[in-house]
Amino acid sequence: MAQVGNRVKPKRRFNARNFWLTTMVAPGAIWLLLIRYLPMLGVVISFKDYKAQKPNTFWNNLIKSDWVGLKNFEFLKSPSTATMIRNTLAYNAAWIVLVLVLAVTLAVMMSELKNRFLAKAYQTMMFFPYFLSWVVASYFVLAFLDPTSGMIPSLQKSLGMKPTQFYMTPTWWPLILTISNLWKNVGYSSVLYLAAITGIDTTLYEAAAVDGATKRQQVWHVTLPGIRPMIIILLIMSVGKIFNADFGLFYNVPQNSGPLYPVTQVIDTYVYNTYANTHNMGMSSAAGLLQSVVGCACIVATNLIVRRIDSESSLF
Amino acid sequence: MEKAERRNAGLNTFGPGAQALFHGCLGLFALLCIVPFLFVIIISFTSEDSIRQIGYSFAPLGWSTQAYNYVFQLGGALWRSYFNSFLITVVGTALSVAICVLYSYPLYRKDYKYRGFFNFLSFFTMIFGGGLVPTFVVCKTLLGLSDNYAALIVPLLFSPFNVIVMRTFFQTTVPRELIEASTIDGAGEYRTLLQVVLPVVKPGIATIALLNALAFWNEWFLSLLYITKNMDVIPLQYLLMRMQRNADFLAKNAGMLGADAAKAARNLPSQSLKMALVVFIVVPIACAYPFFQRYVVAGLTVGSVKG
Amino acid sequence: MKKVFALILALAMILTASGFALAEDLPTITIMFHGSNVTDDTAVLEAVNAYIADKVGAKLEVVWGTWGDFDEKATNALLSGDTGIDMVFTCSWSADEYNTYAKNGYFVKLDDLIAEYGADLVAAIPESLMQAATIEGAEGMGIYAVNGFKDTATQNCWDVNVTLLNELGYTLDDFKAMSFYDFGELFAKAKEVKGDSFYPFLVEPMVLERMVTGSIIVAGDSGSTNLLSLYLNQDDVSAEGPEGNVLLNKFATEEYRKFAEKMHEYYEAGYVDPSLAVAETSNDTRTNTQKTGEYLIGTQSYAFGYEFSADVLDRGIEVAFVPCTEPYVDTTASQGAMMAISTASEHPEESFKFLALLNSDPTLMTLMNYGVEGVHYNLEDGLVAFTEERANYSPWTNGMGNVTILPDTVDEGAGFRESFKEYYAGAKGIPALGFVFNNEPVANEMAALGTVAAQYALALDAGALDPADTLPVFLEALDAAGMQAYLDEANAQLDAYMSAK
Repeated sequence: MAQVGNRVKPKRRFNARNFWLTTMVAPGAIWLLLIRYLPMLGVVISFKDYKAQKPNTFWNNLIKSDWVGLKNFEFLKSPSTATMIRNTLAYNAAWIVLVLVLAVTLAVMMSELKNRFLAKAYQTMMFFPYFLSWVVASYFVLAFLDPTSGMIPSLQKSLGMKPTQFYMTPTWWPLILTISNLWKNVGYSSVLYLAAITGIDTTLYEAAAVDGATKRQQVWHVTLPGIRPMIIILLIMSVGKIFNADFGLFYNVPQNSGPLYPVTQVIDTYVYNTYANTHNMGMSSAAGLLQSVVGCACIVATNLIVRRIDSESSLF
Repeated sequence: MEKAERRNAGLNTFGPGAQALFHGCLGLFALLCIVPFLFVIIISFTSEDSIRQIGYSFAPLGWSTQAYNYVFQLGGALWRSYFNSFLITVVGTALSVAICVLYSYPLYRKDYKYRGFFNFLSFFTMIFGGGLVPTFVVCKTLLGLSDNYAALIVPLLFSPFNVIVMRTFFQTTVPRELIEASTIDGAGEYRTLLQVVLPVVKPGIATIALLNALAFWNEWFLSLLYITKNMDVIPLQYLLMRMQRNADFLAKNAGMLGADAAKAARNLPSQSLKMALVVFIVVPIACAYPFFQRYVVAGLTVGSVKG
Repeated sequence: MKKVFALILALAMILTASGFALAEDLPTITIMFHGSNVTDDTAVLEAVNAYIADKVGAKLEVVWGTWGDFDEKATNALLSGDTGIDMVFTCSWSADEYNTYAKNGYFVKLDDLIAEYGADLVAAIPESLMQAATIEGAEGMGIYAVNGFKDTATQNCWDVNVTLLNELGYTLDDFKAMSFYDFGELFAKAKEVKGDSFYPFLVEPMVLERMVTGSIIVAGDSGSTNLLSLYLNQDDVSAEGPEGNVLLNKFATEEYRKFAEKMHEYYEAGYVDPSLAVAETSNDTRTNTQKTGEYLIGTQSYAFGYEFSADVLDRGIEVAFVPCTEPYVDTTASQGAMMAISTASEHPEESFKFLALLNSDPTLMTLMNYGVEGVHYNLEDGLVAFTEERANYSPWTNGMGNVTILPDTVDEGAGFRESFKEYYAGAKGIPALGFVFNNEPVANEMAALGTVAAQYALALDAGALDPADTLPVFLEALDAAGMQAYLDEANAQLDAYMSAK
């Protein structure tokens, strides 16, 4: 009876269920259509010489401006292109791995602490960098590195050494940027992972314990598989953003110092600097489109790989 | 909380050696995370003379509460923007959590016909955007988001990232049997969601709420875009960013503005004042954080059956 | 059905018509200013609206842009065709670039409006400023913005700490006899007296370079961070410079190499604060140190009367400004602060009437700039003495328009605006005055060159990099980014301009 009911019910209530579920999706969907999809018409600016037309309204300008083909993408011919793409990709790739490993490790550690009070204290403190903007963080870095009054150059001076001119010397910056990025993002990610860990069903641990698994084995066979969906989702999404750099980190923290550009120039800062100088809407629109297309390709590729390995966790 | 204790008390745990190692690693990292904030507090209490002479330092030459006196002198404008920050954060977070949960729940339901479509609809916007100016036009001229609170809330109401996180929470914590059981009992979709599913995903909701609250609390760019005349609605974060941006602009264009730039720079707030404002911004959200955190853990006590 | 529709239409028409007839509401025009510090404008706007109701036939609203926000807000309003902004500040040195926006159709061509309503305006503003605003825009040659009469000439000065100079055993005349290349002995002595952590040379590196080599920036070139340079005739600014009327890559000149080498020597000797060489800390360091008077020689782009401003008087030292050249007028300075009318505006006529009145009517200009008498200022013997309320209403004076019709303030003293007017009216124009580089044909080169220049220029100008190593690399990078094509295009345009002149 129940079986029959089960088989029949979905068919009978098919429309009603989908209707109610659709009403749930509706507010978000309307928002997306209005605020995200409608402006996407503006993507054509990437291929146009956008200028004010008569009458001067945005949509009219958009329609009547001349098509210029790929002219707005010609900024890629700049000799800085190779450097900025290399920097963007290399930093992102390295940091995706580093943040993942560190955040998961810290999250597992926190979940295993016996002292709940301290665990909570650590968790709270780790979230702090997320409250501070890069502008504020850059003051902190400056306090260490400032050529005249920074702590490190002052220390060098008192030891009779020649102070390092950090803001003129590219050598140190891959390290400084990496530390800054980890400092800011690891705590935040580990909180997401911790939330996922605490969501794992306790009975799984009990079952493992009954089977005689050590704590280390439990972490390996229960905790990590339990948060795998979260790991994979966050991974896919950061891969999708591999062509986008955290602007404040690369702009504010090195104080936009020119001689550091070989290791600090990324696509976002390059576009910002040029846009601030020229206000060329076509170019910045083209750069954004390019980042999207590459990000999209990366996501699709990663998702394909994930689906091969674990179809349940894949994004789509 | 209880669950964590239960797990640790009832089952075997890592030994004291490993515990010590964990405390060492976590403690050190946590300390590194908090130090810059202490540093900001120190700068906010540093005298201007000291900043001029030795720059920012953990051990300044002189102390002063001048920055805070100045902050309090901002008076009405400060408290007003403080109030706005709270209002925007509370209303914005409540609305966006509701929208996010409502949107991601059907995406988790395998029996939802349009699951794939709406999944893609949301996800696609993570990588493709229309750009600043087109979005500005739609929001301002079409939706009337200009010089009002709505302008500071609506553009941030939905986050595809949060939808994915929330959907993952549904997947990992809500057993599908639970929903089947509820539907068999004849409960409507909304009742199933509210009474059966939500209690189970409380940690997820708390996490999403935290992410949203942070986004609203830290937001300033929307004010820059949409608030031109009615400065009564701007949040505290924008008050601070405006000072920062004024300084940056004058720095960049000093060569062109000449004596005008020098005169304008005279009226800029001191570094210690900026730091005092940072303290004002960070403290409330930092205080609210443990609340979210407790909720994350407390939500787990509702033990729903899996398997 | 048709009937109903017609009825509704008729009804709507009657309603609108009667609405127009009944309401004495004037149209609202909105103006967007730059660099203001205004928190309460109610009293001022009330007075302004009472004053302009008949004269302009509109009601004024103001968007008080601040330094940091204006560019973003103004470009968004312009690019999005926002009908809510009628008048907007523009100039030749910032992102809201007059020449580009006029060329791309965002600004209303004013010639007809000037002919109809602009008699007072034309009388109030010098002919040369009208010419400076005349450019090739979307609608052909014409005036696309009302040019403000402010400090329209450039004069870069050494900013000398006379107190310290005397302490070191020199007089101001001794200093005037010295050139940049002789400063070493002064700096060495200053270091001896004031200790090792004292930095005697407080420069704005880009300005210093212009002062030493006599280079002039070119309007329309800011996107490359001003790589193109004309050279000034230091004896007579209205005559051709040593290189003739030709644009050069300033970093490739022998003069520049000499300058950069000397500067590096000063830097290595500890005469220059290293923070001055880093983009984001340079200006903060300079203005903060300037305030304390802890320097010997600085650089300052000067405006008439600057030595009497509180900014200078409060330093606690005796300051002298020693000019490098006589004041000169170039395109950049003569398009320094203008007001344009957006082509999206629904009330261009009223807007123009307002701008014309603002620039020619002392009552309105004083009201807008200094506020309401008895609230924001009081008159003492005919001079403006500001009250505390002024802190809530401080627009950027020079950004508003014709400042020569303002009354003198107590700080400036009687007769200040007269002398101000004379000083700038007497300034001579450089031979290429009026030339604006149209960067459109080489926009990509410009963007690429800008990045290369940002990497090296500031650090070289401040002396932080050794030109022996860096300069060749820099020049090579510029070549790779298309320097030659950029130069050729600019020179072809300049030649065409000069022969047409």
